[in-house]
Amino acid sequence: MSPRPKVEHLRKPQIIAAAADVLYERGLFDTRIGDIAERAGTSSPTILYYFESKDRLLEEAVDHTDRDFYERLTEGQARREGAVEKLVHLIEETSLGPGGLSDWTLWMEMWVRARRDPAVRDTYFRLDRRQRKLIADIVREGQATGQFDGKVDAHDFALALSGLMDGLGVQVTLGQPDVTAERMVERCLALASAALGCELRPSAAAVRRGARR
Amino acid sequence: MNARERILAAAVGQIASEGIDGVRIARIAMEARVSPALVHYHFATRDALLAEALEYSYGHAGQARISAGDTLPQSSHAARLQSMIEACLPTSESLRQDWVLWVELWLRAARNPELRPVAEELYARLHAWFAKEIAAGVAEREFARCDPDEVADSALALLDGYGIRTLIGDPSIPLERARRAVSRALAQALGLTGEQLHDTRAA
Repeated sequence: MSPRPKVEHLRKPQIIAAAADVLYERGLFDTRIGDIAERAGTSSPTILYYFESKDRLLEEAVDHTDRDFYERLTEGQARREGAVEKLVHLIEETSLGPGGLSDWTLWMEMWVRARRDPAVRDTYFRLDRRQRKLIADIVREGQATGQFDGKVDAHDFALALSGLMDGLGVQVTLGQPDVTAERMVERCLALASAALGCELRPSAAAVRRGARR
Repeated sequence: MNARERILAAAVGQIASEGIDGVRIARIAMEARVSPALVHYHFATRDALLAEALEYSYGHAGQARISAGDTLPQSSHAARLQSMIEACLPTSESLRQDWVLWVELWLRAARNPELRPVAEELYARLHAWFAKEIAAGVAEREFARCDPDEVADSALALLDGYGIRTLIGDPSIPLERARRAVSRALAQALGLTGEQLHDTRAA
């Protein structure tokens, strides 16, 4: 067996980024290890050295894409004041943000693979729970300041909003007529407003973005 | 069952257990007691096979659901809505099977625009089903005034979002939790309490 490549710490992120791109473009089944090798500027044996299977590649690619999205999200959250702004931002970033919507295709790959692969299933649970926790934390913050109804169970709400975003996200991704990203934001804000007893409106930035599309 | 139906029935089972990408035409042929050539004759591509299998599976279970709605013993629109929620979550083995194909369709339709009309048609049918029931309930003042289309949209999206989590088997979201949550959200939109909707479910 050849000696371990010395530039391992440089190669792996490069490969994962290339894998994420190719997987997004072609889907898991139609992705060949060779396609990823070509995109990453390396060889197939190198790819296989790091990832025993396409499923492991999928997990890492999803993790990587999600991490990018999550970093952007948390950065944006940190710049927002108060629970209302944060919740609106989360909904808008997920529905309208770059990488927010396109990630649904990778999520769909995961949903399909999760039924058969326990490791992919665990990755899915981990990412889903992290998002739900983020939402629940915002709700509790809002409850503490009296902006949101204190009787609402933060976890139940987080699950409902996540479910709604997934359902609408699928329809937007599939290009369902009448279900645009802007409508998705509207529906999510409506659910949140009704559930939390507080009127949530789109941010000025999102309205401007919407006008430009 | 004629040959085409046997092929579709075999395909549905295989797609549900192996995924559309894991399907082997030879195995479908064997199970359907036809030649692989006949399978290829009916279904030129995997996408065509998935689309038709979904239609078949949905068509049997789905259409049966929808038309059974007319013969359901429940008298209230709330009770009928609860049955409809039940029919749209993976609450039985055959519904789980439908669901698996549904999710495979999402994935392939996301990349292949040719499959999108199939998805569109199925959504449109489901949407009409819910919107009609909601509108009837509003007309008879059982439900508060609302936009039946908007409420139907949200209901379907919630059903998809909760459904996928129970299908994958999130231990924190057993089926009962999914049922209650969708019922509660729908009830809220219709001016009912969650219990008024959920309690109408037949034991």
